[in-house]
Amino acid sequence: MRLLYRGEMLRLGVLCLWRRRPLVFGVPAKNLGLRKVASGVSPPGSTSPRALNIFDRDLKRKQKNWAARQPEPMKFDYLKEEVGSRIADRVYDIARKFSLALDVGCGRGYIAQHLNKETVGKFFQVDIAENALKNTLEMEIPTVSVLADEEFLPFRENTFDLVVSSLSLHWVNDLPRALEQIHYVLKPDGVFIGAMFGGDTLYELRCSLQLAETEREGGFSPHVSPFTAVNDLGHLLGRAGFNTLTVDTDEIQVNYPGMFELMEDLQGMGESNCAWNRKALLHRDTMLAAAAVYGEMYGNEDGSVPATYQIYYMIGWKYHDSQAQPAERGSATVSFGELGKINNLMSQEKKSQ
Amino acid sequence: MSGNGAVWGRVRGRLRAFPERLAACRAEAAAYGRCVQASTAPGGRLTKDLCVQEFKALRSCFAAAVVRVLPSGTLCYFNVPFFTEGQDDPKGRPLGWTSLHYVCVCCPQP
Repeated sequence: MRLLYRGEMLRLGVLCLWRRRPLVFGVPAKNLGLRKVASGVSPPGSTSPRALNIFDRDLKRKQKNWAARQPEPMKFDYLKEEVGSRIADRVYDIARKFSLALDVGCGRGYIAQHLNKETVGKFFQVDIAENALKNTLEMEIPTVSVLADEEFLPFRENTFDLVVSSLSLHWVNDLPRALEQIHYVLKPDGVFIGAMFGGDTLYELRCSLQLAETEREGGFSPHVSPFTAVNDLGHLLGRAGFNTLTVDTDEIQVNYPGMFELMEDLQGMGESNCAWNRKALLHRDTMLAAAAVYGEMYGNEDGSVPATYQIYYMIGWKYHDSQAQPAERGSATVSFGELGKINNLMSQEKKSQ
Repeated sequence: MSGNGAVWGRVRGRLRAFPERLAACRAEAAAYGRCVQASTAPGGRLTKDLCVQEFKALRSCFAAAVVRVLPSGTLCYFNVPFFTEGQDDPKGRPLGWTSLHYVCVCCPQP
């Protein structure tokens, strides 16, 4: 039975308050299944015919709206600010000026605030939560805010020189399709720089909840959403048509006083669980047991507990003739067997030039 | 959600006190955590109610830990036990607690 909460999002998605009876609200039939949105983008390649529907996008929009409307949203921004600044570093590493850039799933604009007008001419911010777009951070680049879903980008083909995405693609239902759409809206020789949560993210929370639920209730259900593995990322980007891929991984560890504070921060970031298969109920006993297990298994000496965020940064380019091509077959002048003498070969080449 | 949300507010208020109440029961929480962790060692199997004794101790400590926040911001723990001195039995061994009192200890919030 699916549970939807009307009104503002007051329920912690990752943990749920104990209630005597589960709340059930009517689910309008039109909200079930995939959203049908007319969009100008039709990806050339075909994705899987079976509709992927893991996450409740409607609920995610409500959660992000609620998080953006908090009295102190900057209290929970630390992770996204940090990743946003690291993505901006990668943009600066590319020695080019991008006249038109797109931020998919921008939140309050964590990437654009670190960039300057010399690097990016105009910025399009796309997010599904209107409150996040209303409370954007200060930035010097002229921006246009567009309310759109990451899977249904309302832009024409070959529009953008640069597309960035920071920590929002882990909530899209059809990730291959989203990456294909990003590839579609990029100009040839355009670049996509993205950051996503990796498989090891929040493993301490996942394990503690799993052990506590097994011990207290005899079974367990997933409470932390599934993340992409690094091999799959490479395959996905290649399948979407990107060239010259780069994927690197980074781990950020944040210490919290306890498990409850971690869950409160996750809710404040708008990262509450919205998977359809989430269990609606988390008993107080299980919460207490999980907090005890978390503190004992992973706690630091001073009593705080760490939470790991593993971030994958990916860079992919849209094909252009000017890009470096693999060499023609049979054009090799040196054999791999002579790799040990590469220093001599290089100095010989320099002398001959 | 109905009316003024009084019930919801009360439930959320109780949940907000969870971290402080857990902090008052560190020893029991550590014991329970050790028991569960021991079952994850190779050869161990985690079944339902494997650590029920430790959890019962944690639960009773948690339930007894009533935390009130005074208007000035200090936290009051209502579960700090102390006992009066017991008389020794004829052989000189202490009889243990004769009476258990709970005192309110108000500590300034760190």
